[in-house]
Amino acid sequence: MLEIENLHARLAGGGREILKGIDLGVAAGEVHAIMGPNGSGKSTLAAVLAGRDGYEVTQGGVHYQGRDLLAMPADERAREGLFLAFQYPVEIPGVNNTYFLRAAVNAGRRHRGEAELDAGQFLRLVRAKLKLLDIGDDLLQRPVNVGFSGGEKKRNEIFQMAMLEPKLAILDETDSGLDIDALRIVAKGVNELRSPERAIVMITHYQRLLDYVEPDHVHVLQDGRIVRSGDKFLASELEQVGYGDIRASGSATGME
Amino acid sequence: MSAVLEFPVRPEARPYVEAFAESAGEPQWLCDLRRRSLNRFAELGFPSRRSESWRYFDLQPLERAPLTRAVPASVDAMPSQSGLREGRAMLRLLDGRGISAFSGELPDGIWFYPTRRAIGERPGLVRETMLSDGDVGRPFAALNAALFADGFVLDVAPGAALDAPVQVTHFASAGGAAHTRNLINLGERSRATIIETYAGDGRYWRNDVVMARLGPGAQLTRILLVEEAPAAIHTALFDARLATDARLDGFGLVLDGSRVRQEWNVCLAGTGARCRLDAAFVVSGSDAANIVTAVDHAAPGGRTRELIKGVAAGGGHGAFQGRIVVREHAQKSDAHQLSRNLMLGRRAVIDTKPELEILADDVKCSHGASVGDLDAAALFYLKSRGIPVEAARRMLVEGFLREAADGVADAALRAYLLQRLSERLGRLEDAE
Repeated sequence: MLEIENLHARLAGGGREILKGIDLGVAAGEVHAIMGPNGSGKSTLAAVLAGRDGYEVTQGGVHYQGRDLLAMPADERAREGLFLAFQYPVEIPGVNNTYFLRAAVNAGRRHRGEAELDAGQFLRLVRAKLKLLDIGDDLLQRPVNVGFSGGEKKRNEIFQMAMLEPKLAILDETDSGLDIDALRIVAKGVNELRSPERAIVMITHYQRLLDYVEPDHVHVLQDGRIVRSGDKFLASELEQVGYGDIRASGSATGME
Repeated sequence: MSAVLEFPVRPEARPYVEAFAESAGEPQWLCDLRRRSLNRFAELGFPSRRSESWRYFDLQPLERAPLTRAVPASVDAMPSQSGLREGRAMLRLLDGRGISAFSGELPDGIWFYPTRRAIGERPGLVRETMLSDGDVGRPFAALNAALFADGFVLDVAPGAALDAPVQVTHFASAGGAAHTRNLINLGERSRATIIETYAGDGRYWRNDVVMARLGPGAQLTRILLVEEAPAAIHTALFDARLATDARLDGFGLVLDGSRVRQEWNVCLAGTGARCRLDAAFVVSGSDAANIVTAVDHAAPGGRTRELIKGVAAGGGHGAFQGRIVVREHAQKSDAHQLSRNLMLGRRAVIDTKPELEILADDVKCSHGASVGDLDAAALFYLKSRGIPVEAARRMLVEGFLREAADGVADAALRAYLLQRLSERLGRLEDAE
């Protein structure tokens, strides 16, 4: 589904490289966790994959479902099924959350040649997803993310993910700063999405989320490179030895 | 009729002086007022762009091709209905003249008729308000007093409440000029909501004056929708005076017209009077829109809230000038003004000019102004959800402007205004 090859990237307009040759393959049905300390390039990787302006790929490439991902504008990537859960969801005053979400859902449906949902059909879908995630409808009639608490913003991201049913979901530190209840909602959202047709990439600093969502693969990102890859036990090893020593302590689960 | 004048007439005023004709059958005080006002206009001429309040408004089109009084067209020229709900009390003004009484019923204590009728039936009120000198130093208001053909008068008795909004629909069809003189009078602790809409066909000049007098504890909500013809010039003055504890909520939505100027002057004359003046404007092509507010805190404990949001696209020119004066004895005044603008495109122009003059020492006053492009982070967020970039831009522009209408309490009215706004932004997209 996703093939990242020797990806190098920096901030647009020059500056030092942040990603220094990332290689990563994600197949349908898999859940990957990318872990790393602050400044390792985790969020840059998410931004480059989602198509945020302000970054420059200097080398390498990314294929998504066999297509050149980097050649696609951000909105097209999303309509093709790529979803980014933001680390810092953006507040959009004056734009109603439900209105926004219906526009997003219908943009995807048009793209796939499906009929748009009318207000009634959309509402039924909303209700079904709310029930699935076991969350309330209190955020729906408010402007997108405006005045939301940190937990509410993350909950809104997960709700959007559930509504858009992406093929590839990238979660950028969605677990950071959450209390245990909010963390459970995030985990439930990810677990509900899990299916043989979909892939999920969780970018995180901590092992916490991985207690609720069991990854198939864990990668350690340090200084713009993936320095270790392994199975779920790599995450607990990290928890014990920390990022400082993980590179040196080549264990049996080592590089793939 | 220039024989009435004994001094040099300003050249740009001459066509208007010549077009002046006595209206038959009017009371003597009104004939005198018209002549005095015409003299004043002849002497002053057009407002000078050197005067601060008119510096962003280009009157040259009007100087090059004067627009004198309109000959009213046939009643058939009036579109049958706007998108507003039928059944509310509505007064229709075609080329500045009332053409029909409204349908629907009004509660006791509400008098809502054309100005022409009020001159006969509410002579005291009309005379007292018109002679109150809101026109001094305002050439177009003086011209309006000299030339007005009609208008509306809403007179609400003390304690009376108008729960459903009343509507005034202005339509211009005959070219020329339409001067309308209007009056809103709210008795003590009365309450009313009015929506005034402006539209038309062809090239014309609308020059509108609304005088509002709010008694102690009275509450007025006034909503404007300006959707003039593409070639129209629109100048309007709203002059309001609020007694103790009175409250004014104003919202203006300016969407169309080649030159639109809305000037709102509010005097918080009584202790504890409050006003909210919100507006949103969209200007594109080579059009100009100008919102000018002046609030005079003339008594202690007054409160002002202003939120003005503007979008300029293409070669459009939007301007906001907001003046707040707090007089020496107006202690505990509380005023906040915010002007926020989006400039879409390199040829678009926005001017924003807050002006606070505070003479009292125990007050809370603040203002803010911003001019910028769409928020790149917000745009990316929408795109990252699959919304195509053009739709995302429009959603942000609309969201930006919608906020200014948050103060419109009547849900049906707000929905109508937002629908008009949305429709206008749809055309903006096509035009750019």
